[in-house]
Amino acid sequence: MWSRVRGWGGTAGGCRRLAGGLLAGPASGWEAAAGVARLEGRTRSKTQKLFSTSSVLSTEKDESTASKDSTTEMASKRQEGTPETPKQKLLDIIGNMKVEVSYRKKLQQLKTRETKKQATNKLEGPDGEGTVLQGTTEEIQRGRPLNPELVEAASAVASSLPLNKKQTESELLAQLRRHEETTDKQKKGGTINIRNVISEMAVKRQSPAQRGVRISNRIFLDLDEDGQKLKPGRLSPRSFDSRRSLKVGGRLNIFTKASPETENALKTVSSPTIWDLEFAKEIAAITAQPPRNGFEEMIQWTKEGILWEFPIDNEAGMEDDAEFHEHIFLEKHLEDFPKQGPIRHFMELVICGLSKNPYLSVKQKIEHIEWFQKYFEEKKEFLQEI
Amino acid sequence: MAARRLRGSSWQQVVSLSRRCCFLGGRRENYRCSSSSTALGKTVDNSEVTQEEIVLPRKKTWDKLAVLQTLASTVNRDPTAAHYMFQDDPFLMPRNAANSRLFSLSKESGRNTAKYIIKQFPQYFDKTFAEPNVPCLMPETLTPQIEGVSEEALKERIHLRRVKDSVDLFDQLVQAGTPVSLETTNSLLDLLCFYGDGESTLEKEEEKEDLEEPGVKASEQKAPKRQFQRGSQSSGSRWRENNNAERIFKIMPERNAHSYCTMIRGMVKHGASAKAYDMYIDLLNERHKADVHTFNALITAVPYLKERFVERWELAKVFLNHMAQQEVQPNLLTFNAVLKTLRRCGGVGRSMSLLVIKEMEALDIEPSLATYDHLLFIFYRGVDLCPSGIISEVLDDIQKRSFTPQDPDDANFFATAMQACCDLKDIKLAYQLNKAMEKGDNWKFVDMDRLNAYWSKFFSLLCMMEQIDVVLKWYKEMSPSLFYPTPKNILDLLQALDAANHLEVIPSVWEDMKQLGFNRRQDLLEELLSLMSREQHPDEIQLAFAKCAEDIKAVHEQTGREQTPVEWTASALGHVALLFSRAGRTQDAWNMMEHFQQINRIPTDQVMDEFLNCAKQTNCPDEAIKLVKLAASLGLPSSQRLKSRTEKEFVLSEKQKKTLESIKSDSDSSDSDSDSDSDRD
Repeated sequence: MWSRVRGWGGTAGGCRRLAGGLLAGPASGWEAAAGVARLEGRTRSKTQKLFSTSSVLSTEKDESTASKDSTTEMASKRQEGTPETPKQKLLDIIGNMKVEVSYRKKLQQLKTRETKKQATNKLEGPDGEGTVLQGTTEEIQRGRPLNPELVEAASAVASSLPLNKKQTESELLAQLRRHEETTDKQKKGGTINIRNVISEMAVKRQSPAQRGVRISNRIFLDLDEDGQKLKPGRLSPRSFDSRRSLKVGGRLNIFTKASPETENALKTVSSPTIWDLEFAKEIAAITAQPPRNGFEEMIQWTKEGILWEFPIDNEAGMEDDAEFHEHIFLEKHLEDFPKQGPIRHFMELVICGLSKNPYLSVKQKIEHIEWFQKYFEEKKEFLQEI
Repeated sequence: MAARRLRGSSWQQVVSLSRRCCFLGGRRENYRCSSSSTALGKTVDNSEVTQEEIVLPRKKTWDKLAVLQTLASTVNRDPTAAHYMFQDDPFLMPRNAANSRLFSLSKESGRNTAKYIIKQFPQYFDKTFAEPNVPCLMPETLTPQIEGVSEEALKERIHLRRVKDSVDLFDQLVQAGTPVSLETTNSLLDLLCFYGDGESTLEKEEEKEDLEEPGVKASEQKAPKRQFQRGSQSSGSRWRENNNAERIFKIMPERNAHSYCTMIRGMVKHGASAKAYDMYIDLLNERHKADVHTFNALITAVPYLKERFVERWELAKVFLNHMAQQEVQPNLLTFNAVLKTLRRCGGVGRSMSLLVIKEMEALDIEPSLATYDHLLFIFYRGVDLCPSGIISEVLDDIQKRSFTPQDPDDANFFATAMQACCDLKDIKLAYQLNKAMEKGDNWKFVDMDRLNAYWSKFFSLLCMMEQIDVVLKWYKEMSPSLFYPTPKNILDLLQALDAANHLEVIPSVWEDMKQLGFNRRQDLLEELLSLMSREQHPDEIQLAFAKCAEDIKAVHEQTGREQTPVEWTASALGHVALLFSRAGRTQDAWNMMEHFQQINRIPTDQVMDEFLNCAKQTNCPDEAIKLVKLAASLGLPSSQRLKSRTEKEFVLSEKQKKTLESIKSDSDSSDSDSDSDSDRD
């Protein structure tokens, strides 16, 4: 029992180290996690506290519920359903960690708790597994090549399984190497499109070599498609249907996500065809509802241009881009005129009239004043004679 | 220290903020929109701003709808009133679903007629120019302005969507030997393919969404015939052999991908799926690439191309793979088309649809309501119901998001989902769905017709699963303002009332039934009467019931103008008589008893006993004797018992006693006698 707990803790610790290392720099995260790993075995309550996944620990005997839990929790990140063989579990765990690593690289978010959860949730197999994983994850984290110890551990796992030993071992190691590759790649160049890496991995995991692994999970089998396997009649049992979920299962793997550049390139600028116009109309018609009250009707009318716009103000329809004070206070245009005398008086009357005239634009009014200015300028001599 | 510094900097921010606002306002920008966060973000260039002159905003620009929107948000739905669109005319308040549909259609068609007249006779609408001009009220210029045979003229005709004119002009151009540019020819093809070579009638395209027939889609699913699915796909015209589009396509000197694509889309739209597929093969042979819309069209055509489910899926997958090969990025509509095809792939659809959803997720394409609609249809419209896992996940997703219309099928979602909730008999899911529907602008996705279906399903489910108080609360809340109950809803409500032992509400339900125009429906009347007459109730309830019975009697006796009167059935008669008797209305009850004889039906023993009780209570020995007579004349075995009861329980005069005696003696030969008796009454 204790060793089992330790096993979990070990993986969780390893996983945490992965996360922490990337987050807080290699040294500190590593140190803390190592501490956790050392501490973990002492008391059970402590373990629970540390990993905050007591639900899994308490329901460990009930494997089915636990695995169900895990499926729902893992749903978004996992490609397969619940695993059957311990080996498959192992592969899953590794796969999940991979995904987690890349996510962390990209998002740099604090999801440590989740990761832990996943790791602990997943580990329900025999004791050996846990220890091996502890080792492997450590190795991976440090970015070392696969050392003999690891290979030995993997073969130990393989021999503990009922299936083909050689195959299992090589698969395990292959998976570990692949994992390591990814880690290295991402360490070196942070510019790799993470999503592509993930999707690539997903494809690999469904490659024939992996498929050879016997998975009795029917969802996986079903989603493994190829058409022939899917006879409508065979897919009806309720127990199968009930496991269906939007969050579990694979994808079609036909498309790859386009990078933003190609997406932009694809957007060809062309004038909309009749198809586009009519489609837009059709879409707009979906949510076109008759107005529910008088105000909504007025909104509709305003949009159509029937109704005078709200709020009604004295600037509506003001097109010459001038304001009322420019229309009304025209004294400033009289500076070039004499300060007093009959001309001044006359001009004051003129601007008074202009300021009341709504039909002329400001420009026209100024032109009008300027005309008088020019006129009086021309007649200056005669005026002075008088 | 730190606090002081903070205060100092925030003061500076305020200053710069106000300056910025002024500055923006001076440029006549809508500075209300320049939220403080953007202004705060630019406090760095504080020192440069200080030199700027403070300019007062010349004009404050308001959103022209802001005031109205605020006001509109203060108006709530009045649960007792009909929809706003009916409130113009109190005489045209709809009373039931059929009425409301008819009236809304009439209103809309009136509008369309007015538009048609304006467009058809623009010459009569040249006098009233508004100041400022209101363009939407003025007739559009639909007559081509450019005369003569030229490509410009052709372009204009295409723009005005004059299908026939465009084709004629194109032919003239070709005959004259004038080359028409590829672009113009393509847009002509667009036009022809969109309208399927039929004339573009303006009304057809301007149909409002609440005029759409949802039945079109239903029939579409039932006819997966290969090529000759006449009238099954879209309501538009069918693709004819060698029509103008095909002809022009053939004589085109050069064709590009667009020419092929538009042909394929047109063929799919107008039901020539096999031709579309051949055209696609041609396109591939010419080493062109199809665009995403064309693939979407092809995927929707898959069910018409293949019969077997697996083959359909394989073909859809072929198209998807071609897309990937041709580097065409799929969009939301692609996956919706795939799911729509999977709707018609039986069990294959169930397993594959989830893969499709995952693929969308992987490509960061957010599902629209149509996506969920297809998904729910695939999982919950089969013979065997799936467990509620998928739908609850879907609803969880929907609650988290707000939706904009993206796919024409988006409108179906809420009705489909409610149907699924109904089939699953899961009231919690229904509540969840309803909450999602009322969130934000989601309600807009449900048009008038679907709204009625949606609410009536919801209401039936409520009747089935909820406490009667809750049901009645909902009923009051939504009955005339949100939907008009169907007869089935009323039946459900009656059953719910029965189950909860709340029969005293029946009279008000009857009032509603009259309002809804269901007072002539036999099944409802029978149910109502049998519920009312099943047990003895307190007096006041009995009186109210008797009033309902009177109404129902009136319905049966009404000789309307063109309506045939509702036929009495024996049970209805018996129930009405019973209700009258229990309310102590002996004379009314007797009238009903007489009806039995008129329509040659036999009252049950219970009815006659109750009538006798009533006669006894109201002290009407005459009626009792009449009943005995009636029973005897109908030759009922109970007549003897009734007679002895009458003798025992009533205080009879000598004459009455004699009459009673005489009934016995000529019971077997008194048919004519009793007939004349009843005639005398």
